[in-house]
Amino acid sequence: MKKLFGVVAEFATPDAVRNAAEDLRRSGFRAFEAYTPYPVEGLDRIIHPGAKLLLPLLMFSAAVLGACWGYWIQFWDEALNYPINVGGRPYNSWPAFMVGTFEFMLLVTIAAGFIGMLAASGLPRLYHPIFEAGAFERASRDRFVICIEATDPRFDAASVRALFERLGAERIEEVPA
Amino acid sequence: MATTLTNELPAGAPVVRPDVTLTTLSEDVSSRVLMRSAPLWWWIGFGLSFALLMVLIVQMAVLFIVGIGVWGVEIPVAWGLAIAEYVWWIALASGGTIVSALFFLTRSPWRSATNRIAESMLLSAAPCAGLMPIMHLGRPGFFYWLFPYSTVMGVWPQMRSPLWWDFICLLCYILMSIMYYYAGILPDLATVRDLATTKPKKIFYGILALGWRGSVAEWQNQRIVYAIMSAIMAPMVISVHSVVGLDYAAGLTPGWHDTQFPPYFFFGAVTSGTAVIVMLTILVRWGYGLQSVLTEYHFNAMAKVMLVGSLMLAYAYVWEAFGPLYSSDVAERTEFLHRAFGFTAPLFWSEKILTVIVPQLLWLPVVRGNQVLLFLISGGIIVGMWQERVVFTTASLEHNYMPSYWGNYFPTLWDWATLAGTIGLFLTLFFLFLRFAPIISLAEVREIIEDEKAK
Repeated sequence: MKKLFGVVAEFATPDAVRNAAEDLRRSGFRAFEAYTPYPVEGLDRIIHPGAKLLLPLLMFSAAVLGACWGYWIQFWDEALNYPINVGGRPYNSWPAFMVGTFEFMLLVTIAAGFIGMLAASGLPRLYHPIFEAGAFERASRDRFVICIEATDPRFDAASVRALFERLGAERIEEVPA
Repeated sequence: MATTLTNELPAGAPVVRPDVTLTTLSEDVSSRVLMRSAPLWWWIGFGLSFALLMVLIVQMAVLFIVGIGVWGVEIPVAWGLAIAEYVWWIALASGGTIVSALFFLTRSPWRSATNRIAESMLLSAAPCAGLMPIMHLGRPGFFYWLFPYSTVMGVWPQMRSPLWWDFICLLCYILMSIMYYYAGILPDLATVRDLATTKPKKIFYGILALGWRGSVAEWQNQRIVYAIMSAIMAPMVISVHSVVGLDYAAGLTPGWHDTQFPPYFFFGAVTSGTAVIVMLTILVRWGYGLQSVLTEYHFNAMAKVMLVGSLMLAYAYVWEAFGPLYSSDVAERTEFLHRAFGFTAPLFWSEKILTVIVPQLLWLPVVRGNQVLLFLISGGIIVGMWQERVVFTTASLEHNYMPSYWGNYFPTLWDWATLAGTIGLFLTLFFLFLRFAPIISLAEVREIIEDEKAK
């Protein structure tokens, strides 16, 4: 028997995929994922419940670090490394450093968010077994796809197929690992 | 969902026409990217833009070989068209971020179909802005001395200077805009990848899409980050254009030395940036036949943004006059009188007419619904803002404190070549965006379609 990545079912409407996901969770499945052309309202709370704090916290800490970094560059340069006395003004003239600090803070925050977003999603990853599914091609356009992965302890290809049929899937297929 | 702008809309102007489905949307927009050869109008437009870009190349070569004396800048007017156009370009770019980021935060439905046009516009305009100060340096090869990095010369930039803030702002702004654009376009590149039929295109868009799958986990991460990014980009762009205003406000020249200029510049950015987006949206809509996705609803909304922008500008103009006239500073007053009634008077008054008086037509729903008029009014605003930046930059230097130090500014042929050339660079980049990236945010318009269906 060939090794499976999972079993994929295709649904036509966002409501159908939401109902299916709810049903799967209630029947005890955990390792399943939906692929949709846009973020379907409520689907994330069913499939990946729980507070999502990692990325906001990452961006917040990046903001703090970025601000410190930005200020430090200017302080180090203007007060320590290359001090220029301009009319007796203080070397550490912090009001004049605020713009630079602000911009560095935002740049680092956005960069952290961008890289964090990719890293948290495991991107870039140019190949994924789900690409083998014939149904997947339209998941980036107009169809809603659910895949129960073989790693789920309750996974059994035949019973999953029957379950999807009961849930009204339009097309069911097995995806090789 | 729809919080604003919907009350008096005619029923015939939905955000998305009802005949658009998820299937037709993806195929329509992606086919513009994937088609074998671009339509004739694209080649004509691209060809003309590319010809203008060549003007820029020649102009830069002459400028770098001969020096900035080929421009009309001289003492006393050492900041001429190039600096004015720097402000003008960065204002146009800022307007793109405003439309894209600010109206994402307000959840305005019209933003979904226009934000990609706005962001492509800003990514095309920002390099034009960035080139201007570099060309204006006497030693352009040394522009990198502004970077805060440890040079072997031991020379460091003066970081208390608004000019350095400006450099940092522009640099951060371009980098952040690229990341913001890419975070938004990633799902759409995956759509194009899945629709591509030839191998080279599959590979090209496959790599660009980074393997995006549209899984719930990915959407979650993307939405969280995108929302925070928008919340950052909106104040960011205000800071960028305010710092441009500080370049002037921190100078002691009469007419520049005023605390009102950071917001004054920003108001101009909102108005002129939206005006460019309106013009480009009209062109993209007809060129690519996207009338069902870019509807009268979008023009109505953007026209109102322009109207608000022109009212804010009017407020700034009143203060521009009130400050010098009320103050007891003779230099400020004579400079303002020179600006309004002297050498620059024709530009000064036509600018007020184009940016404040003519846009008042937008109060009328008929005008907001008429794309020809909208196109003309937007074009007028953009030209008017260019005049505004030029008058603002040159008139003050023409009329400094010392009467013996007065003199007028006349641009040379090379000044105009710079303007034409950067317009060429802008349009060339925009045409490339139009050809190689989906010009409508597919993922967001899909949500609008589903929302409309659910109603």
